[in-house]
Amino acid sequence: MTSRALRAACLAAAAAAVVLPLLVVGFGALKTLPQLFAHPLAPPLHPTLDNYRRAVGEGGLGPAFAHSLAVTGGAVLLTLALAVPAAFFCARVPGRASWAVFAVLVAGLAVPAQAAVVPQYVLFDRLGLTDSLTGLVLADTVATLPTAVFLLGGFLRGVPGELYEAAALDGAGPVRSLVSVALPLSRPALATTAVFLCVMDWNDLLYPLLFVRTPGARTLPLALLDFQGEFLTDYPVLFAGVAVSSLPVVAAYVLLQRHFVAGLTAGAVRG
Amino acid sequence: MSSTRSGRDRRRPGLVWLFPLPALALSGFLFLYPVLQSFRYALTDWDGYSASYRDIGPANLVRLATGDDLFHHAAANTFRLTAAVVLVQTALALLLALLLVRTTPMSVLLRALFFLPAVLSSVSVAFVWRFVYEPGGGLLDTALRAVGLGGVQPLYLGDPGHAVYWLALTQVWFHAGQMTVVFVAGLQAIPREYHEAAALDGAGRLARFRHVTWPLLAPAAAIVAAYTTVQSFKAFDLVLGLGGNPPGPGLDLLSTRIYTTFSDDRFGYAAAESLVFMAFVLLLTWVQRRALGGGQP
Amino acid sequence: MNALDRRSALRLLAGTGLALTAAACAGPGGGPDAPRAADPSSGPATSGPVKGTVSFAHWRAEDKAVLARLTAAFSRLHPGTDVRQDVTPSADYQSTALRRIRGARSGDLFTAFRGAQFQQLVKAGVYAPLTGTPVLRRYQDALTAPGAQGGVQYGLPYQLVFNTPLANTDALDRAGHTAAPRDWDGFLQLLDDLKAKGYTPLAWPGGDAANAGQLLNTMVMNNLPEPDAFAGIETGRHRVTDDWFLTTLRQYAQLRPYLQPRAAASDADATLRLFAQGRAGLLATGSFQTAAARALGARFPVDLVAPITTAAGRARYEGVFNATFILGVNNASSVQPAAYALLEFLSEPRNAAAYADGTGQHVTVAGVEYTNPDLKALAPWLTRRTLLAPRFQFLDLDIRSAVENATVAVVRGTDPHQAAEEAQRVIDQKRA
Repeated sequence: MTSRALRAACLAAAAAAVVLPLLVVGFGALKTLPQLFAHPLAPPLHPTLDNYRRAVGEGGLGPAFAHSLAVTGGAVLLTLALAVPAAFFCARVPGRASWAVFAVLVAGLAVPAQAAVVPQYVLFDRLGLTDSLTGLVLADTVATLPTAVFLLGGFLRGVPGELYEAAALDGAGPVRSLVSVALPLSRPALATTAVFLCVMDWNDLLYPLLFVRTPGARTLPLALLDFQGEFLTDYPVLFAGVAVSSLPVVAAYVLLQRHFVAGLTAGAVRG
Repeated sequence: MSSTRSGRDRRRPGLVWLFPLPALALSGFLFLYPVLQSFRYALTDWDGYSASYRDIGPANLVRLATGDDLFHHAAANTFRLTAAVVLVQTALALLLALLLVRTTPMSVLLRALFFLPAVLSSVSVAFVWRFVYEPGGGLLDTALRAVGLGGVQPLYLGDPGHAVYWLALTQVWFHAGQMTVVFVAGLQAIPREYHEAAALDGAGRLARFRHVTWPLLAPAAAIVAAYTTVQSFKAFDLVLGLGGNPPGPGLDLLSTRIYTTFSDDRFGYAAAESLVFMAFVLLLTWVQRRALGGGQP
Repeated sequence: MNALDRRSALRLLAGTGLALTAAACAGPGGGPDAPRAADPSSGPATSGPVKGTVSFAHWRAEDKAVLARLTAAFSRLHPGTDVRQDVTPSADYQSTALRRIRGARSGDLFTAFRGAQFQQLVKAGVYAPLTGTPVLRRYQDALTAPGAQGGVQYGLPYQLVFNTPLANTDALDRAGHTAAPRDWDGFLQLLDDLKAKGYTPLAWPGGDAANAGQLLNTMVMNNLPEPDAFAGIETGRHRVTDDWFLTTLRQYAQLRPYLQPRAAASDADATLRLFAQGRAGLLATGSFQTAAARALGARFPVDLVAPITTAAGRARYEGVFNATFILGVNNASSVQPAAYALLEFLSEPRNAAAYADGTGQHVTVAGVEYTNPDLKALAPWLTRRTLLAPRFQFLDLDIRSAVENATVAVVRGTDPHQAAEEAQRVIDQKRA
């Protein structure tokens, strides 16, 4: 009995620790600053949308939202387009060469992004890829490619060889066995990987921070970080910005919870 | 209609060798090449914009090792942060996992809830926690007052001696739920019969945890510890959002130090710093593999 | 066939690796990293069609609305032009402006901070020098120096601020002080009297690196009344372990009881709120926060009150000013005539006055009539004995942080001697 009460108390405390800060954000975005400071946890008595108006209008979250969508979409598709055939190769072709390719592609897992940023900045600048959405798509793709190859490679290695052999008897070469055997089987793995990539790309700050100079290519996390200068610590506006930029991910999480948990966990435990 | 395509496909099994080429080309050109170039940059005093630079040999690395308090300070902060997060987050995640291992609707809901912060962006989490730590009207101060501890008044992130531990707390809030899920999976993989057998032998709850659960949970714990280590070591966005850009001395980590040096247009020195940073990450990964992988074949 | 493929693939892989390594050994400089414009010494194209989209890069997010009105008027005056403001937070702009502006993808017209950033931008050759252009005549001669170097006028400091503590004169009156203190004892007395009346005597954002250092300007202006005291720290001519700086740190220690609780962790907004609500006597930032305090509902009259750190009669300066927000035309801009025309437009007294009144900042443009009551109230400071802010002489941000962090450490309780020693160590390392 007491141990059950203790368990309940622990879980309630943990739940409160997660929920309360988020509640403050949800409520706070609808309050004025003095109201927030007076009663941080109280529901807004006279809710105002003013903070959202300022966050989106003055804070420029509208275009940033569009940029984030474009960069995330582009990077996820490009990463998968590159990672799927590469992982297929590594899983299907035996021998040292295949091992070497795999090692080169996943080497990025062990190397932190910061190790490359200085020359990367110079390179992207020379190619005219700083301050451009294309540049961000490429940078994000290169950063997430190792994880994608690792996850998909692991999965494709588990596909029984007999299935490919059966397809080969039907006259399938590598392209067709990739398209009609590997891809249909790996739908769950693709979904898991895609979700992981989406979350990484949507939340990435490093590359926008390094590469972007004008509002023309600002993504959400960068626009949000710039709030620090613009609104200082006008918390209700900051909170409105947090809400706007988190809403799509949280909504997707609620709808596709299983994939999120699988994706983020798989991404986390790689290597 | 597909007969020509599949025909060509069939006649060229060597086609499969083209599959990894785009990925190799892109990551070779945009990632591996820059990493190698870091070594070259690290031997110069290039400022990032001048047409000329000097080759100064290993001078940057020597200075990093022997005469740069700011870098040493950032390294110390990074290790303290990592140690704190690994200890607290692993313990907390394990505790929560033990409490939530059974699949009841309530457990499932709570697991989902604890996981939620992990999908948010670091900048968002940082802004939320700025308010938590706001001296005076912030959430923690309000909470402390509510339980009669209003006189405690911590300096939070403004205390350079302890700022990284407040940062660690935020990091734990951010990712403990994610690690809980890993532990739950590990716990659920332990066959029920083991527990039943131990219980029949008269083992108490603690003894069962020590002799049954813990040894079998080792792989999951290894994963959690390894991931948490590298993740905290690389913390960057969270610090910029919490500590400002650039962060003050109490929150300066290796990742932010590299960024500050880069912003100061000392590209050569920043490259040297990033190499040391990479060496630390590789070393940590290796040590962990050795320490945790020892029991496994 | 497969084996052949494998061998060739391995060879390809190895070859690529070698090529990458070889390429990586190429030096970093040269190429497009050299300044892109043809001749960094030529002035801007002042004639030519005033057309195109002008990017105006700056860091004053709080001025966005006022500038938007002005640039809209500019576009009406010059059909076919359009002005886009590229606003970056000041801390970011401080560290990344060069990368943003070079090549002119951003900042056909741009601003620079005085000191380190200005000199860096001059060195990188991004300015189209303004020497000899008609726009110079619009400015007060004595105030354009921060935009010049080696006899060339690269930019024009537009805004004039006082990095001198703001005072709530109602609170000072209530504490029995109608005249500003003339020495250190007098200043401490003022703080004592404010405290006795229940005010936070001095609100100081010690947790906010960008603003904590503003107080240092007035704290050192008389302890070492040189026009380039902090530049001397970087060249090694002065050390923070010298008497004048140790004295300054000891005086910071004396301020401890007069700051708001947890001052070393307060951000600039918290202290601004404290001041705007009438709960603080002095705000240790500067005149540039007047408008923000008004926006938060401050109704009381304001003035500037500097800590005079010396004995009576020994003080050389009454306060500190800064002529920052240096406007410059980008050398590599493709719409230079329009960028220059925008600079001229902003430099017309009528428009400068509109900027000043709208933002609550003084300007360096000659012949401006202020209508904003706060600007009028502080206008006498334009002719007082003020020192150009020493804090912005630092070229190296790490050295500047080391010096400023020493003051924060002292307020937090560190011994001044120890704080100075630690700071000097970092300075020596970064100077090397």
